[in-house]
Amino acid sequence: MTLEAALGQALSGISLGMVWFLIAAGLSIIFGTLKILNMAHGSIYMLGGFLCYQVTSTFSHIPGVFWLALLVAPLVTALVGGCIEILLLRRIYGLDMIYQYLLTFGLILIVAEVCKLIWGVGYNTVAVPWPLNDTVSLFGLSFPKYNLFMIGMGILVFVGLRALIGATSLGAVVRAVTHNREIANALGINVPRVYTGVFMLGCWLAGLAGTLTPPMSVVALGADVSVIIDCFIIVVIGGLGSIPGAFLGAIILGFTTAFGLYIIPKLAVAFGFILMIIILIIRPRGLMGEPD
Amino acid sequence: MLLETKGLRKSFGGLRAVFGIDLQVDENEIVSIIGPNGAGKSTLFNLITGHIPADRGAVYFKGKDVTRLPPFKISRLGIGRSFQKLNIFPRLSTFQNVQVASFSAKGLNRSLFSRAENILTEEVEHILESVGLADRAGTLGGLLAHGDQKRLEIGIALALNPELLLLDEPTQGMSPGETSQTTELIHLLVKKRRIGLAFVEHDMKVVFSISDKIYVMHQGMMIFSGKPSEVRSNERVQSIYLGKEKDSASRG
Amino acid sequence: MEGIKAKPSWLHGRALRAILMSIVLALLIALPALISKSWLNITIEILIMALAACSLNLMLGYTGMVSFGPAGLYAVGAYTTAILLTKLKMNIVPAMIAAPIMAAIIGWAVGWVCVRRTKVYFALLTLAFSQIIWTIIFEWYAVTGGDDGIVSIPTPEFFFSIANSYYFCLALVGCCIFALWRIVNSPFGRTLQAIRENPDRVEFIGVNLKRYQLAAFVLSSIFLGIAGSLYCVFSGSAFPDYAHWTKSTDMLVMCLLGGIYHFSGPLAGSAVYTILAKTLSKHTMQWNLILGVAIVLLVLLMRNGVVGFVSEKVFRKK
Repeated sequence: MTLEAALGQALSGISLGMVWFLIAAGLSIIFGTLKILNMAHGSIYMLGGFLCYQVTSTFSHIPGVFWLALLVAPLVTALVGGCIEILLLRRIYGLDMIYQYLLTFGLILIVAEVCKLIWGVGYNTVAVPWPLNDTVSLFGLSFPKYNLFMIGMGILVFVGLRALIGATSLGAVVRAVTHNREIANALGINVPRVYTGVFMLGCWLAGLAGTLTPPMSVVALGADVSVIIDCFIIVVIGGLGSIPGAFLGAIILGFTTAFGLYIIPKLAVAFGFILMIIILIIRPRGLMGEPD
Repeated sequence: MLLETKGLRKSFGGLRAVFGIDLQVDENEIVSIIGPNGAGKSTLFNLITGHIPADRGAVYFKGKDVTRLPPFKISRLGIGRSFQKLNIFPRLSTFQNVQVASFSAKGLNRSLFSRAENILTEEVEHILESVGLADRAGTLGGLLAHGDQKRLEIGIALALNPELLLLDEPTQGMSPGETSQTTELIHLLVKKRRIGLAFVEHDMKVVFSISDKIYVMHQGMMIFSGKPSEVRSNERVQSIYLGKEKDSASRG
Repeated sequence: MEGIKAKPSWLHGRALRAILMSIVLALLIALPALISKSWLNITIEILIMALAACSLNLMLGYTGMVSFGPAGLYAVGAYTTAILLTKLKMNIVPAMIAAPIMAAIIGWAVGWVCVRRTKVYFALLTLAFSQIIWTIIFEWYAVTGGDDGIVSIPTPEFFFSIANSYYFCLALVGCCIFALWRIVNSPFGRTLQAIRENPDRVEFIGVNLKRYQLAAFVLSSIFLGIAGSLYCVFSGSAFPDYAHWTKSTDMLVMCLLGGIYHFSGPLAGSAVYTILAKTLSKHTMQWNLILGVAIVLLVLLMRNGVVGFVSEKVFRKK
């Protein structure tokens, strides 16, 4: 493999990874704090994509409309998440896992059908926004600027999340609730509100990922189901509840898939699962998760 | 010597839970373990029954080293145990709770096609009678009154035909009437079956009424052991622990 | 705690149950004369999915093991029979017998790995393995036909009559369900239930937890394999989505819909689910939306399923 091809693969792996990281980070903190495995997380991602398309096509006369979408779409998905948490999830906390799995699976079906009703079954595209719509030359090779932007966004969000959770008092509250709900309650922390906030943050992240993806690819149905499994793999590898873990897991899966596709395309899909199984056996808390 | 532990030691992270415990229980002997909360009593039981691995030290049952055995093997050897936090099978009936333990004891639980309801009924009813739950055989375990659930715990442990019984706070949460009933029950069981019994208790009346020997634990260490009268008169024990209980026992 | 209500007095309930079962049995036997061919087809599908759901429930409702991947073993059964019938031109009897054997072997291997972990990690492991099975089926074109699947599977003339197929299916599914009934009411079955109630406690009554969980997994796989094999014979085809996790979710929904704490729950759930799916999808494009809403409502309002709900109302202890 030539250097250019290798770097190209690496770059595509990392950009892919960044999208996954955003979704997986949301999934991971939702599981870490609320102890719920949100199957519908991929649906929120897909919804973000559709909202991005909707904003950019409705307000296409505004220059820089993509940036407007980038602002608006994740906020909408966060709000949707808030409604879901308050109306539905609050009733099933503490129940056996199967009920959470099935309820969020039901949500997958509902969101998918609603998207189908509103936006139809075809492909929709969103143009790469100015000023990112050409390539840049690095080390004599040309890379699409948008990919670099995505990597930048991923890193920015990672740093932002770490700062938020690790260094702010708000983050301290979230960490307290994550560690021990009862004690946090006893300390006077409004636990239900924290749960809602964390879920909304997770959905904001998924919506952000959904908004960033369309310029690189298409907006279509089916993204919900295909992305959720990849994100489970990442979250397991990195550790349920760990943001750096999600980052690491996303990079690992991004690379594994990109190179796998290059080497043994047929079984590339299975690599992720095999990796997931290995981690679950050797170190179930993941590379960076908290011990059980 | 039925049960003997030598130098059992266990730490959790940096926290020393149990430190150098030597314990002995003989057949037909009732031994109680007392101590303030956090003294390491339940941890000691968990070490003996294999639920957690010991850092150092050994457990001998009938002369055999059982320190590294998994819990299911240890219970098969003849050690039955009840738990501090209730640990029954809530959606099974009282009868079924004991029955499933009997199946295991008799090695019948691999049988796939015989009808469970007809097997070992006499043995199970006998055990239910001996713990005073015969009239509640059909009630779901989770719906029993707290005191009855504690006795069901004992019943489940008995179903294994143990030679050694470890009871973790068997009268916890019981009314005075229930407590004395259960104490009687335990005493009778040991004498009739000639088994060894070690139990953890906070209720000093119970401890002093039936124990042959008392071990006193404090902060993970065994600070004193001896006959009830010796324990009662030992100043160190009194100052650390018995002071408060003595008042409440004389009041109770 | 779910499902913990005073158990009804079955003494007079038993007579009622016997009568109900006789009626159902009589109906089932007379069915081909009573309904149209297309409905008979649907009934066959209900029977097969009932077996699949019942097998899953051995793990789910009786042992407390939530598996996200039963479809994987179901597909193993289907593809084993399909491949033996088409590529090796085997006779149908050994081809069908091989299915549960293969499912047991793979179930044993997969289960051995999965029971090393519990709860959510166990569930995710079952999902991962099921998706690996799906990937293998999807990609191994030479053997499995990949995305095209295996179609036009040669079946004996006996099955050309739909009434014959129906009776064969009824007999086989009936035997399997009877076997499962005996298993859950045996000492082994009680031990599984004890594991569900309190997996930490069972070790203290001398039960090797992992061995019994693995046994439940393998038994479940065997009957799932039989169900898959049956479906392959009757639909005359096998496709990769027999192994997809959405199919696993269908099975989980059937169990929950009927009620996981009752033996007949998955049977009822399979019937209700299949009938609703077939009738509603004809009348509306939005079948998925209705299903999604129904699942959400089911989880929020009727967690004990249809059978649980009925059994509470009808047999409530006075």
